[in-house]
Amino acid sequence: MSRDHGHPVRLGVALDLAQLPPHALTGLAQVADEAGLDLLAVTDSTHSIEQVSEPSGPDPWTTLAWVAGATSRITLTTHALAPTGPATVLARAAANLDLVTDGRLELGLTVVPAAADGTASPAVGVHPDAGALAETISILRSMWTADGEPVRGAGPAHRVPGADPGPAPAHDVPIWLSGTDDTLLDVAGRSADGWWMDATASGVDPSSVSSAQFRLDVAARRARRDPAEIRRLLTVATIPAVPDLVRWVVEDGVDTVVVATTEPADIRRLASEVAPAVRDLVAAARTARGTRSGPSRPARVRAARRDGIDYDDVPAGLETVEPGDARYAGMRSTYLRGGRPGLVLLPRDTAQVAQALIWARTQPVPLAIRSGGHGISGRSTNDGGIVVDLRHLDDIEVLDSATRRVRIGAGARWGGVAEALEPYGWALTSGDYGGVGVGGLATAGGLGFLARQHGLTIDHLRAADVVLADGTIVRADEQHHPDLFWGIRGAGGNLGVVTAFEFEVDQVGDVGFAQLAFAVDDLAGYLQDFGALVEAAPRDLTPFLIVGRPRGGRVMAQVMAVVNSDDPETILDRLQPFARLAPLVQQSVQVMPYTGVVHRTDDVHDAQGEPVTRSAVLEHLTPQFAEDAEQLVRSGEVYFFQIRSAGAAVNDVPVDATAYAHRTANFQVVALGASRERLDRSWDAMSHHYSGFYSSFETDLRPERLADVFPDRTLTRLRAVKTTYDPDNVFRYNHSVADASAQASPGGVPAAP
Amino acid sequence: MSDYGHDLLFGSFITPTNADPQGPVRLAVSSEAAGLDVVTFQDHPYQPRFHDTWSLMAYAAARTERISLSGNVLNLPLRPPAVLARAVASLDLLSGGRVELGLGAGAYWDAIEAMGGRRLTAGQAVTALSEAIDVIRGVWDTSTRQPLKVEGTYYGVRGAKRGPAPAHPVGIWLGAYKPRMLALTGQKADGWLPSMGYLKSQQELADANARIDDAAAAAGREPSAVRRLLNVGGSFTTGTNRGFLQGPVSQWVEQLGALTLEHGFSGYIVMGDDERSLRILGGEVAPAVRALVAEHRVAAAVTR
Repeated sequence: MSRDHGHPVRLGVALDLAQLPPHALTGLAQVADEAGLDLLAVTDSTHSIEQVSEPSGPDPWTTLAWVAGATSRITLTTHALAPTGPATVLARAAANLDLVTDGRLELGLTVVPAAADGTASPAVGVHPDAGALAETISILRSMWTADGEPVRGAGPAHRVPGADPGPAPAHDVPIWLSGTDDTLLDVAGRSADGWWMDATASGVDPSSVSSAQFRLDVAARRARRDPAEIRRLLTVATIPAVPDLVRWVVEDGVDTVVVATTEPADIRRLASEVAPAVRDLVAAARTARGTRSGPSRPARVRAARRDGIDYDDVPAGLETVEPGDARYAGMRSTYLRGGRPGLVLLPRDTAQVAQALIWARTQPVPLAIRSGGHGISGRSTNDGGIVVDLRHLDDIEVLDSATRRVRIGAGARWGGVAEALEPYGWALTSGDYGGVGVGGLATAGGLGFLARQHGLTIDHLRAADVVLADGTIVRADEQHHPDLFWGIRGAGGNLGVVTAFEFEVDQVGDVGFAQLAFAVDDLAGYLQDFGALVEAAPRDLTPFLIVGRPRGGRVMAQVMAVVNSDDPETILDRLQPFARLAPLVQQSVQVMPYTGVVHRTDDVHDAQGEPVTRSAVLEHLTPQFAEDAEQLVRSGEVYFFQIRSAGAAVNDVPVDATAYAHRTANFQVVALGASRERLDRSWDAMSHHYSGFYSSFETDLRPERLADVFPDRTLTRLRAVKTTYDPDNVFRYNHSVADASAQASPGGVPAAP
Repeated sequence: MSDYGHDLLFGSFITPTNADPQGPVRLAVSSEAAGLDVVTFQDHPYQPRFHDTWSLMAYAAARTERISLSGNVLNLPLRPPAVLARAVASLDLLSGGRVELGLGAGAYWDAIEAMGGRRLTAGQAVTALSEAIDVIRGVWDTSTRQPLKVEGTYYGVRGAKRGPAPAHPVGIWLGAYKPRMLALTGQKADGWLPSMGYLKSQQELADANARIDDAAAAAGREPSAVRRLLNVGGSFTTGTNRGFLQGPVSQWVEQLGALTLEHGFSGYIVMGDDERSLRILGGEVAPAVRALVAEHRVAAAVTR
């Protein structure tokens, strides 16, 4: 009977620290990395040498971390590492190495019996039994689940009173165990992700890899685990014959074979000749036998799956994160909205986005598209549905420096964009925060600190790669799919997934960045004066105003403003009028690059609950609006009230040029409150002041909001474009413009929940 | 007033936050590009928002070619010394002799204990550090085949394997402030690495230096066997002197030069995680301080 459980086949190389001088080791690692091997194992055969008079070889963990820095794509693992010191520190070391390598780390562990060399001393910190290893594994997994609960270990080897968990690694770091004694097999059967056999020394005879696994399978079943979920790894001393390799995989259930070698030629031959042949033959054998392929997650992860998603049907090669995975905590929620998606898909390129989309359509659950997950509206997550997370599509490439044409992936964040453009003396106006993702903002509008001079982010878009609802990939610009190109500039969330944007960016040197705090008694008067000053100001000034909850009857207003000039006199000239609006309690004005204003941050968005926000655009801060706004602020109902400049250059663009149609507004406002009902009541009562809404800041999902986001003529045209490009209303979870009738259209589209 | 005559080192002090995992690596690469001599990393293994400093150093070492790397300072209570010695020697071998060992006795004992580390009193921690240095130097010493034996209360070893030996004589730099730590620095360390922020005055610097000198002499060592390094914060401004290292480049040059010539410091590690400051430090401050110090040393030699 075949033991093959359909895990992906991997071939790798094992580098033995006892046999390689350091410089040779780095070179071999790089050969393996470039040759395209799957796995590089760092091992230390001196563990088994009892002669303490022989000097110790290099430290395997340090070597692995070094090799991580010297390579770029190959998966890295320790092999038979005997953990030393506190398990909590090893957990952090492993998680962080996985983060810095973007998920290339695996952890092969073992137990080294206490030798005569005093390894049990606190100076070395080895815990020489399988029980200690079980404790280590438990602590590792708890530390990697960054859910806030303190990590405890009862001992006897690891007494941990209560360590802060985290960070979560970049992917679920698998733990492989090596060893053949019964107590270790018990631990492996109970809690390892894989068991590593070694046929280089006295361990396992390659001809008996099948029978050697019998005891492990027994241990797994005793622990009520399916032996199929425990991967099998094998180290051999020389490159095996292809038929042997194929037999080990399809008969004996081994999915990873590493060859212990010190020869670059071996590594190249393994990668270029042996690996392709093995893969083809295994694939053919598996097809012939009907072996189900694909990685299967352990039972503890599968237990957290949600209904309605066929997890085992995800297209091969697509990276996934499930609710039971360690990384889920950092991906489920957005900046302000808690989420509980059933599955996160992490495509690597546009083709995989299409693949993910086509597959997601077959699943009867909600669908969200996420770039940075910052959107105030929170539409980039859901409950029980699928999230297509574009974070890997984060390339930033200058296409033509003469025309300042830059291509930016949807998963990049604006702080990273600012940083990439700074060396050229360029910038692209975005929002007011570097942690915002490119995709969401650049398909909705993009109202940033250079708006009055340089317009909206979408006004700089010249072309885009779009994955349509049926998986078709198109390039949209003024000549190709012009209707789509019009639509994605303001209503992208309705029409497709933009995976890459081509922008014409601006020449921007250092700017003046002011943060002014005012103590305001007469808020209505202050807002009116602020509005008048902004409208009259030269375009190089773009101020945003934030008001919080009043404290003790006093309102604090904070103005954050960018003056697009590095000349101190110009900066002061622009700001001076604002300083007279009310008593200044704090002020800071600095000349800095745009990267200082919109700076790189990789904050994890992990909100809980539902945000309560309303948004609007308006032409002027009229006395009537200002009075209503003061009343709203003084009611204590909103804890954050922001007014952004939205005019000047923004309004140079004709109203029908883009799906963002608010081209007469000079201001955009957003309020965050505590109660949906109370905020809606207050905001609705102010609706006569407003000329429209901005979709990214809006969490009011009532259907009438659609007409506020898209005025009549825009909505009519959008509906026509929608019918062409998304006839089945696949993209319906973000202010869908489709008629009610479109939602019931045929085509296998599930009903909206 | 003493100048121990060491070549000057200029370095960066990096906060190893992991929110952007590559961020500290970029700062290390920038430190090298700025022409600095050493890049150092804080070590707080109990802080989940930080990288594991040791692994980060190994990774960053592979991403750089010339610059030296050190913890500033590594947390001994959570890093068993025999393992640490092997790790340091290994990275020194892999990187071609670019590693120094900044080491501390430990602080924040609640956090150390919460991680599963052993809580020690301040006095016990100094003794433990002293034993750890013996273990570390013993592991590095492969001139003998005798298994390593170190008597001790906290880190005693009875017959451990030695090796590997590092590629170059790795300096053990101690973060020390209190009298017993300063005495241990003079007795056993290769460098003293305090932070200016924890020292109240230049007088305190002078007093501490004197304690190290005395302890070195008592142990039969030259005071110059202990390099004096200093973590400093500051900012570069175009305006006037706003305090210690708060001013233009010329002021930095003058103040650091004085620390070398009057207090014997020969390593300046600048805090702040700011690329612009690193560029100014490496490109403008370092050459000018070196020139100033060289001039005075020549003059002093001639006068003698």
